[in-house]
Amino acid sequence: MPMKRLGLAGVAGLLAVAAPLGGALASGGGGGGGGGGGSMPSMTTPEYDPAVEYQNGMAAYQAGKFKDAARNFSHVTEAAPGEAHGWHMLGMAKVGAGDVKGGSKAFERALKIEPGSIDTAREYALTLVTLKLTDRANAELAKLKARATTCADTCADAAALKAAVTAVEQASTPAGAPAAALTTPGGLIFAPDGDAAYVRAVSLINERRYAEALVALDKAEAAFGAHPDVLTYQGYVWRKLGHLDQAEAHYRAALAIAPTHRGATEYYGELKVIEGDLPGAKVMLARLDAQCAFGCVEAEELRRWIDHNGDPGS
Amino acid sequence: MDRPQRRSGLLNVGGAAALAATAVLTIAAAPGEPPPLHAMRWLAPGVDVARILTHTPVECLTRSRNTEDTYRVEIGRAAFRTPLLLGGQAARAGIACATCHRNGRTNPDFDFPGVSGAPGTADVTSSLFSAHRGDDIDDPRPIPDLGGPKDRLKISQAEGSPALKIFIRGLVIEEFDGPPIAPAVLDDLVAYVRALNPKACGPTATTPMRASGAAEDVRRAVRAAQAALTRGDAPTAAVMVESARSQLGDIAERYAGADVAATRSQLGQAGLDLAAALESMRRPGPTNARERLAIFLARSDGWMSAITRDEARSLYDPGVLTARLAMDSVTPRH
Repeated sequence: MPMKRLGLAGVAGLLAVAAPLGGALASGGGGGGGGGGGSMPSMTTPEYDPAVEYQNGMAAYQAGKFKDAARNFSHVTEAAPGEAHGWHMLGMAKVGAGDVKGGSKAFERALKIEPGSIDTAREYALTLVTLKLTDRANAELAKLKARATTCADTCADAAALKAAVTAVEQASTPAGAPAAALTTPGGLIFAPDGDAAYVRAVSLINERRYAEALVALDKAEAAFGAHPDVLTYQGYVWRKLGHLDQAEAHYRAALAIAPTHRGATEYYGELKVIEGDLPGAKVMLARLDAQCAFGCVEAEELRRWIDHNGDPGS
Repeated sequence: MDRPQRRSGLLNVGGAAALAATAVLTIAAAPGEPPPLHAMRWLAPGVDVARILTHTPVECLTRSRNTEDTYRVEIGRAAFRTPLLLGGQAARAGIACATCHRNGRTNPDFDFPGVSGAPGTADVTSSLFSAHRGDDIDDPRPIPDLGGPKDRLKISQAEGSPALKIFIRGLVIEEFDGPPIAPAVLDDLVAYVRALNPKACGPTATTPMRASGAAEDVRRAVRAAQAALTRGDAPTAAVMVESARSQLGDIAERYAGADVAATRSQLGQAGLDLAAALESMRRPGPTNARERLAIFLARSDGWMSAITRDEARSLYDPGVLTARLAMDSVTPRH
């Protein structure tokens, strides 16, 4: 028998550690639609507990069980249809399971609720490219470009917008530069071409020669485009140089391209520790713990930062 | 230190006996896509991937009848096998001590960008790995066989000499940017390396990798964690559980196909069980970690049976691995 709901507000604590998007979901979600906030529970009682379904969906998604994840997230959207994150993850799971058309519809629904989501806009545009709905894909790309132009590299979302535009453009032109591994830790080190600049950049970072590292990272970016590995280390260097806003922009850009990028998640969490945002850092840690079913150094390093309330090596 | 030519994206894969005993199949990895086994990323071009990653050098481990010695060697052995002992790029890439010293031996096929020169060499003073000892000099050295004659090793392993302990600590903390290492774990790494001896090598150089053997390594690490908890040494127990988790992940990686999804799921659940035990250890106050580890071991028969049953369909099988590599070469993922 399916679980009965607990009430969205009642699962806030669970979701806060269960999934990165859960906080918004557990908050009752904005953006209109039904199922929010625990009002009139006797009339809006969903059949599934959205918190549990979301948690299970994330676990299934991380395990590559996309069909199972899609089932879980569809339960989330049944229970909380006004919550964009549920639709977004439903789209991700459907695409993972090969149902691009279904995923596209889910992203479209998420965008109606939360039009400003760059992540969802990017994913939606990518599905349109895959479905060869060129006109609609170009229209979505144009929207992203317009936002990027308006931002003019000065708003907080500048790097994320830039990365989204790049991702959609590259998908639209498959003959372009080959995509490199997006989420594999240290993936670019093993990339077949152009790795010399990236390897050099990492070495220079370790030598604390940050200005030179930025130059090397620019070379790597020229070879790979706005790759999350490059963006992550650009963010890291900016952080080391004391430009925390720049650092955050680059981490966000990396995560916009690859939401499960371990390095970007870890370093973004460390940045949050530096800024005194321990709850935010813990959200990043929860993401890593969810991704790393068999453990990973990124999670352990961020855990040490949180435990020390700062750089444990300082 | 930048090498003029990195691997070109071509991996030479020796045909397994099941497919073609003599053929060497050259396959193209999908650009930038991670290979099916992460250990492929640091294999030299042109090597027989299927054979190398389905066989392992024989471990030359001296058995002790002394309970204390056995405990210490088991702790060191498991610590040797987890990337989490190290830090920086090495750990992020999934490198452990056992990566360069497979089963405590050497790794003649190791070829890491920016770190290796000829295959089987490593420059451990590369800035790529080390924020402490990077010397900007490209001087990769052959990776020593720790199961080889002691007198051929650079560092003295004589009883009573602190040289090996100092050396290992320097490797972990400075050359690989690892986090502070629990004193007991450091001592036990020394005990493990000392316990490697050519007299214990056995008649064959290599042995096929088996799922059951890998699973038993996981269980050994968990048993070591239990023993550490019994001694009240939670930090060491945590390292053991981390080692068990990462080794379990190595097994899961081999069960990648849709036809073994159920087995992979079981391994994932086992991983969550270990994560829960670890979380319990970290929590202040009373812990139920020992109970969780016991439950893990009790349940391990289930997933061990599954991985053994499905081994012929997993990437432990040379033929399956070869076929998977060949499939990747003709099926672009992007």
